[in-house]
Amino acid sequence: MPSSVFTRVAGIALVLSVTATAIVTAAPADVAMIKSRQDKLRDMGSALKQIDDELKRRSPDWDNVIQPNVQILHDRSPFLQKWFPKGSGPEAGAKTYALPAIWQKGDDFAKHARGMIAEAAKLEQVFAKKDASELRAQVIALGKTCKGCHDDYRSPDYEKDAEQ
Amino acid sequence: MSVPGVGGDQKAASSLRTLRVWDSPTRAMHWVLVIAIGVCWWTGENDELEYHHYAGYVALWVILMRVYWGFVGSSTAKFANFVRGPQTVFKYVRTLHLRNTPATLGHNALGAISVLVLLATALAVVVTGLFAVDIDVLYSGPLSMYVDFREGRWFARWHSTLFDVLLVVIALHLLAVAFYYAYKRQNLVASMITGRRKVAEASGEELQVAPVWRFAAGAVIVSAAVWVVTTGFFY
Repeated sequence: MPSSVFTRVAGIALVLSVTATAIVTAAPADVAMIKSRQDKLRDMGSALKQIDDELKRRSPDWDNVIQPNVQILHDRSPFLQKWFPKGSGPEAGAKTYALPAIWQKGDDFAKHARGMIAEAAKLEQVFAKKDASELRAQVIALGKTCKGCHDDYRSPDYEKDAEQ
Repeated sequence: MSVPGVGGDQKAASSLRTLRVWDSPTRAMHWVLVIAIGVCWWTGENDELEYHHYAGYVALWVILMRVYWGFVGSSTAKFANFVRGPQTVFKYVRTLHLRNTPATLGHNALGAISVLVLLATALAVVVTGLFAVDIDVLYSGPLSMYVDFREGRWFARWHSTLFDVLLVVIALHLLAVAFYYAYKRQNLVASMITGRRKVAEASGEELQVAPVWRFAAGAVIVSAAVWVVTTGFFY
């Protein structure tokens, strides 16, 4: 085998092996991140729902139902942005409804995330008053920040997908 | 409930008379449901979910009232008078290609299936909507608190899927109406607007109109039931 051909073959092999290594090493982490953030976001949606449901009752259970769910939202919201590292979009190969716009418009996405963090923090403050109507209004305010992000950065396929 | 109709029968044309086929409540419920479904569709597609809820409640009211009217209403609205067994349906289907088949006072055997499927599908869409969870919690159905988040999302997806099924059923219904108009020369839309249909004089059947108080009584009960549902039973 002439040396130039050998060099070329070796070069291609090196590129392929590096690429394969990158796929093998990077993809599982990104896929795990996608799965993890979907679970966490679902938990947050569930927490918001449980607060909302409880507030419809005549005597809401502030300590056993509302408080832990307020805590979930308050504690998790600061990490929202970290759940969307580069590479964890559709290119990761796992099913995700996260649109590429999250990374293309990073500043706007960050603004949405900060809005959510602020409303979640306020939720905890309002909770301390134990005023059902005021907390309900804050649940709606927080829900609107969720919706703001979902409208712009989540694929509409989410609504019809059976595997969400 | 067959009467000699106008389906291409030129001889009968000279002795046509107008017969009352549909009472006012049946016609009103039909068209209100059409509007409610249209509004539900538009508001759902355009994220106007507050109004989507209101339109859904109207649809629920109409569907429940139509079921009620199917038991105690006027003769052509009563299920017992138009729902037929498979044999009658197949017999009717075999005459479908004939242009001069007698018009039916009320729903024909095949139309009866259309009514039942439309009502059942529309009711399924509304019921799944009642339990559907909006992921942002802003516009969840009024009964969503009786299911957990995942179950509520399951209802939301089925709400959407069943609405697509309803659109297909409506499309088939409209195709059938167009077929009767173009092929059999029977204007079913006009009948559903005016409540009347032209038939040959030989007809022996007449619409037996149910008293208004019966509709009013049902309206009160159904309105109360729908209102209770909208509150999530927290009234």
